[in-house]
Amino acid sequence: MTTDEGTGDLGRFAEPALLVMVSLASGTKHGYSIMADIASFSGTRIGPGTLYAVLARLEARGLIEPLDEVERRRPYRLTPQGAAALDAQLRVIGRLVQAARVRRPHVAG
Amino acid sequence: MLPSPSLVRFAVRVYPNSWRRRYGVELHSLVMEHRPGWRDWLDLLVGAIDARLHPEVAPRPALAAILPAYRASEARPSAPVQAYGIVNEPPIREISRRTFMRRMLGAGVALLSLEFVGGVLAFMWPQIRGGLGGTFAIGTVADIVARQPSFAAGWPYAYAPARLFLINVPAAEELALGHEISIPNPAANQLLALWRKCPHLGCQVPELCDALKRFTCRCHGSTYNILGEKLGYGPADRGMDRFAITIGPDGVVTVDTSKITAGALKRGPDSLVFTDPNPWMAECR
Repeated sequence: MTTDEGTGDLGRFAEPALLVMVSLASGTKHGYSIMADIASFSGTRIGPGTLYAVLARLEARGLIEPLDEVERRRPYRLTPQGAAALDAQLRVIGRLVQAARVRRPHVAG
Repeated sequence: MLPSPSLVRFAVRVYPNSWRRRYGVELHSLVMEHRPGWRDWLDLLVGAIDARLHPEVAPRPALAAILPAYRASEARPSAPVQAYGIVNEPPIREISRRTFMRRMLGAGVALLSLEFVGGVLAFMWPQIRGGLGGTFAIGTVADIVARQPSFAAGWPYAYAPARLFLINVPAAEELALGHEISIPNPAANQLLALWRKCPHLGCQVPELCDALKRFTCRCHGSTYNILGEKLGYGPADRGMDRFAITIGPDGVVTVDTSKITAGALKRGPDSLVFTDPNPWMAECR
């Protein structure tokens, strides 16, 4: 949304990239479990092509890193830079949510 | 249902080589595990196009060199193929840029032809909802008499949406013979729905001629008696065509304009069911 180190300049991949990073925030995961995790916490379905387009971009930016392959599935984890970028982005979103709550107080949650 | 491995292999093969070398194996197992729907196949295709449009995203050797799999491939030049071959499948066939473009072009042409064929079929498909060819609920006989009281006396009721004359047969016969009569409740089999299209060349048959109580086509002068039967004068070879009529339990007269009975062939005045008193008179004044 804001910084170049974050996922803000990823265009249409910005939102799935954020979802992937949030998913990896709870630990290393391989492709399929990232998809399942995202579906369970956000209800959003991400297709395999989108997922790997996002993984390649995040990896190219050094926000995530691949681990050794296990049974033909490769787990990924957040790098320290990735965690920092995620935190920065979450702070922005937090401010956004706060401002929105004040303006739309009837929305619960 | 598990996706067929060859289909998945084909989908992964659409990605560029460098990309596949790095992600092919894991993408393959992800898709196998995921049981993809059509959206996922589309997503894979879009992802492959994206990967080809943005080659800078694909891991470059410098970046990929840190990976054990890639390091192995550096050691042995044939390893990249084998890396994907670990999946226990035949080696990947490479897709060149030219092949890719060619296939995309082919797919585009196929899609275009499909649209063209679909459009032609859609154009030729009969549109029977509404308009001529559909069914029309005209109303009960009482409704019709209320709209046009002379219908009880035998005057044709012109119903424009279906381009027809509704005829009260027993009253119309009396009217044509010059008798004044009122039959306000004819039965279903005493009604006729005459298509106002002249069977000669398709002109619209005008309203009944007052003086002679017959129909005369303005185009070429074909004449029909009040029941639509061909009279002696005029070029048409048969009487006016008729639509099928049904009367529902609620008394509503319904005309099905897709069911057409051709008018009787011209066989001279004697063979007419109903004999017009002046069959050979041309003019209608």
